[in-house]
Amino acid sequence: MNKYTVKDLMVPISEYATVPIGTTLFGAILALEEAQENFDHGKYQHRAILVLDDKNKVVGRLSQLRVLNAMDAADNYSRYEQLKIFKFSDTHIEKVSEKDRLARKIFTEEALKKVAKKLVNEFMQKPNPDEYVAETSAIDMAIHKMAAGAHQSLLATRGDEIVGVLRLSDVFAATFHTLKELEVV
Amino acid sequence: MLEIEKIFKRIIQRVNINLRDLAFDVSPFVTGHIDLEQMNKFYAFYGITSDIPLDLKLIHSSLAGSYFLGKCRVTDSLLYKSDIRGDELKRKDSTFQYKNFNIDLTEDELIDIKTSALIKTLVHNYSHDPETPERFFIKNTLSLDYANIHGSPSDGCFLGPFATVDLTTMRDCVIGAYSFIQAGEINHLEVNPGTIWVNSPGQFNFLYQYPADKLQHYIQVTAGGYPQGLLIDFIEEHEESFNRVFDAANLENTIKVPETASLDRYAVVLPSTKICENVLVAQRAYLENSYLGRGSNAQENCFIINSHLQGCNVTAHGAKIVEADLQSNVFVGFNSFLYGKQGSRISIGTGSIVMPHTIIDCKESLSIPADTLLWGLITNQAELEMNSIQLDDLRKINTSTNQGNMHFEGHGASFVEAFRHRVNHILEANGAFFHEHNNNVKGHAQNNRKLSLNTIQPFLFGEMQGVYPDITILPQG
Repeated sequence: MNKYTVKDLMVPISEYATVPIGTTLFGAILALEEAQENFDHGKYQHRAILVLDDKNKVVGRLSQLRVLNAMDAADNYSRYEQLKIFKFSDTHIEKVSEKDRLARKIFTEEALKKVAKKLVNEFMQKPNPDEYVAETSAIDMAIHKMAAGAHQSLLATRGDEIVGVLRLSDVFAATFHTLKELEVV
Repeated sequence: MLEIEKIFKRIIQRVNINLRDLAFDVSPFVTGHIDLEQMNKFYAFYGITSDIPLDLKLIHSSLAGSYFLGKCRVTDSLLYKSDIRGDELKRKDSTFQYKNFNIDLTEDELIDIKTSALIKTLVHNYSHDPETPERFFIKNTLSLDYANIHGSPSDGCFLGPFATVDLTTMRDCVIGAYSFIQAGEINHLEVNPGTIWVNSPGQFNFLYQYPADKLQHYIQVTAGGYPQGLLIDFIEEHEESFNRVFDAANLENTIKVPETASLDRYAVVLPSTKICENVLVAQRAYLENSYLGRGSNAQENCFIINSHLQGCNVTAHGAKIVEADLQSNVFVGFNSFLYGKQGSRISIGTGSIVMPHTIIDCKESLSIPADTLLWGLITNQAELEMNSIQLDDLRKINTSTNQGNMHFEGHGASFVEAFRHRVNHILEANGAFFHEHNNNVKGHAQNNRKLSLNTIQPFLFGEMQGVYPDITILPQG
């Protein structure tokens, strides 16, 4: 049975979609499209964009869901985040968000153009400490971190440097192939 | 390198270590902000009175232009024109009540400042933290101009200019300029400038956030620059008057002060001002052509100009009232800026509450009815309607509401009563209710009349220039 390590399955950072901090959402989506075109390993597409600072260090991640959140919340996204930070209940935040939603349409030319100009800084998620995994780690560690933290991907590290992205789809595929090889009946 | 520079560098490093999780570097905000080589030009001073324990320990610190009262210890720190007021600290053998706990105190409470730099900052009140009832600590903390640390122990925090933290223990937090926080306890929190947050879990939660672009007109601080904006300009316009009172050894009272009122020797009073009975005017307050009715007070860094305060008006630390008429029992919170103009005055009805850090800057006359709660930025009638609510209407709220940038959740009645209770306590502590029919219970207004002041000086030359010798001051041997 193949004993995978993180390095065996990760997508090297050079092949992943990355954008510098300060890029617009539209710029980030273009980068994702370009990375996808240049990436031909397997049938699974990239689903996130990594945001880099001026020293090429990963400072955030923008998922597809995050982009939809940006479209949904528009100008109010950071406002809802602030309400959460300052301990308002989900009920209140939903009430405010519903009021905002009724006051505006999401899928209009004007609204989409406005969202496209927003910067990734506003919507990216900062990686949590449990989203890192050493590239030399066994696949067991990665499966545990993904399952425990409900993460779609992990950042693979070599020392202090991020060298790749380990995607849930690739871990799942490797697990599935191994199971098939075991000829489980 | 001068010793004072070593002290300051060590403080910056300690604060940065505490704030590393927030990736916040205080250096650009403070490097060059104060001229360390000038710190030998300012004396420090302390108050003596028979009513407040005298116990000062000043160790390896620079204290330029700062004031101390009560039991304080300052170690490895830099204080510049700050007021460390220990007159409300808890006393030995008293009982501190926290929720269901009655905590007996075995010693007098201490303000304990260690490895911190406080610039033009007020420290007052007492520790509301039940875990440290006898020690109001301020450690590895850096605060900028006109910040207020009020009843709020602090470890590893940065407070921007005009920030206030009230009755809240804070650890590893960044409090943005002109923010007001009253939340019991906060940890690892970065608060954007202009955030007003009053939270009592299970009771109520109030939040207002200034529009960033509009707040910049009043105060903005950028990395590498000095604080700027109308609030700073306003204070600088009046600075010359303070130089006169701090430079003179003896000053004659220019106005008559009733026996039951007190006017601090380091306050500025310009004609034609009237101070009535039971009024308290604290150091660094500025009064000009104004009337302070019975039981009113002007706390540290307040400005009251061309205004009429009818009576029992609280003007909290750093509040500014210009061209305004306040009926009785109006509360004006910390660092508020009521900026009326000639011909467009502000009038506020009885019992109204101006939330801390409110700005009313109008070019038209504004008349605010009695029993109104006001908050945020108000520059015209429309904004007044958006940023105010009648207290009776607020009392009826039991779920949540949202008006403009203000969010409120919880019991409105609890919020109103908490404020009412607090205002009453402030008036009582300040001596507003002193009267022979009220058992002659004294407050700061009466007690401060018995206060005398001593000055202490730093090393003037050499490596220790600007640092004070280690000093212990006790009532007797």
